[in-house]
Amino acid sequence: MTGVTVLTEGTNQLLDYIIQIEGVAEEILADRREIIDLDRQRNKTREAIRALQKDKSADKTWLCAGKMFLKIEKTKAINMLSKDFDELEKEINNVRSALKPKVSKLRDLEKKEDLKGFNLSPLSATELKSVESLL
Amino acid sequence: MAAPTVEKVQEIREVTRIERIGAHSHIRGLGLDDALEARQVSQGMVGQVKARKAAGVILEIIKEGKIAGRGILIAGQPGTGKTAIAMGMAQALGTDTPFTSIAGSEIFSLEMSKTEALTQSFRKSIGVRIKEETEIIEGEIVEVQIDRPATGTGAKVGKLTLKTTEMETIYQLGQKMIESLTKEKAQAGDIVTIDKATGKITKLGRSFTRARDYDAMGAQTKFVQCPEGELQKRKEVVHTVTLHEIDVINSRTQGFLALFSGDTGEIKSEVREQINSKVAEWREEGKAEIVPGVLFIDEVHMLDIECFSFLNRALESDMAPILIMATNRGITRIRGTHYTSPHGIPIDLLDRLVIISTSPYEEKEIKQILKIRCEEEDVEMSDDALTVLTRIGMETSLRYSIQLITAANLVCRKRKGTEVDVDDIKRVYTLFLDESRSTQFLKEYQQEFMFNENTDEMETS
Repeated sequence: MTGVTVLTEGTNQLLDYIIQIEGVAEEILADRREIIDLDRQRNKTREAIRALQKDKSADKTWLCAGKMFLKIEKTKAINMLSKDFDELEKEINNVRSALKPKVSKLRDLEKKEDLKGFNLSPLSATELKSVESLL
Repeated sequence: MAAPTVEKVQEIREVTRIERIGAHSHIRGLGLDDALEARQVSQGMVGQVKARKAAGVILEIIKEGKIAGRGILIAGQPGTGKTAIAMGMAQALGTDTPFTSIAGSEIFSLEMSKTEALTQSFRKSIGVRIKEETEIIEGEIVEVQIDRPATGTGAKVGKLTLKTTEMETIYQLGQKMIESLTKEKAQAGDIVTIDKATGKITKLGRSFTRARDYDAMGAQTKFVQCPEGELQKRKEVVHTVTLHEIDVINSRTQGFLALFSGDTGEIKSEVREQINSKVAEWREEGKAEIVPGVLFIDEVHMLDIECFSFLNRALESDMAPILIMATNRGITRIRGTHYTSPHGIPIDLLDRLVIISTSPYEEKEIKQILKIRCEEEDVEMSDDALTVLTRIGMETSLRYSIQLITAANLVCRKRKGTEVDVDDIKRVYTLFLDESRSTQFLKEYQQEFMFNENTDEMETS
């Protein structure tokens, strides 16, 4: 016997289906990874800003940008880092928001029921307070 | 003298500790397959194939959220599984859909008007789904470092090192956070979450990796895995609360405590209107979803004409749940009137209902139900005994034979047997009368009872 396999219509369909599911699942995993990496960066940036603010010894500081060390003024460094921090925060929120439709798409492909209520917009803090004792 | 009393008290405690088993505790669902066909025996349901199938169809419509404000009537003779079907529907709906079960006579109370009681049950059956969203920092504490100023007074500063399986970071702590950390007694090795908006610290437990740190520890020490992923997470929680719960916490001064004491009294209609409009507003803003639930009224023929006309009206409101009613009456008088009507329900209400009827069980089905009940009540029974019990069930009633299971088991244990056999069944059959034998007994000896209505015999004696 030679190892020739003839794909029938059914197996082709199945294959397509699996490819689709795996594709979406892969995307979700990649996004999760990205959030983690971004959060790590965010925490490092936050630590750096804090360290610069506390350090009162000199006006200038070394800053490592990519593969290069720069000696720049501390206020400037803090500014740059804060900008970075805001950017990271925004990016994380973007990825998170994009994650939700992907997850529901995956559940849809897997023929699972939609997660109930996750497309609602959250109650504000004051509104939540009024029903807090119920939760 | 004191010793026996003490013993007695212990004996009583022993009884209460036994877990009690309800009459329909074996029901886990409607026992339908994906095509809504009823399996003969499944999820604790036996027979009643037609009724279960009908219930399943209705269930699907409920899940789709399509029929709010409709009524279903389950009609059938006593002991044909009406309540079981309703319970099955409740189980199959899942935890998210509110299900309220009341008996028709429950609404007659001195503290509350009938319509108030009905309104409360209606509102208990309507869920409101809301979402809570918080930013939290979740991780295992690696190190807490608190610097106290040398003078003893003044602001403390500190550092908190947190990690997940992926990363580790240091947070600078202010006075407030240090205080709440010390209050929570958080130390290295604890898994904590910190609410970003409020700064509230919650201890989730100790890390598994620290499980060997001490040999002796309190029973309340809970071990949890070190959290995965990012440190700063967005947590979204969806809650489903019922309209009635919102009513109660917003009505009067007693606040949410009333929820637990059970006695809520009457709730003003203004409060309800306010809540309705607030919920409607949330729904407009996409902040809430209405989940129409199910209200089950057992023994619905116990309601009177006022209640029925109230139901007529209430079913038409835009926030009405699905109403399931059960009755075992045939053509009978409507309570509060002189008129008779099928099932004791006025024709105009009956007209709005979908009626599912249940039929008496066959011998095979009764046997199956008894078998399931035996398993549920942890009773071993021999095949012969089961056959005898089935015969008893056929001749008397299903409920009576179910009651004999536990009794026979006790007799069996008394003789230190492991399996209930025919003799045990016979013994309890002679010990406990069923309804028809009791009636016969009364007929024979009624002149010896008090206040019997056989007056001419009284006069002769």
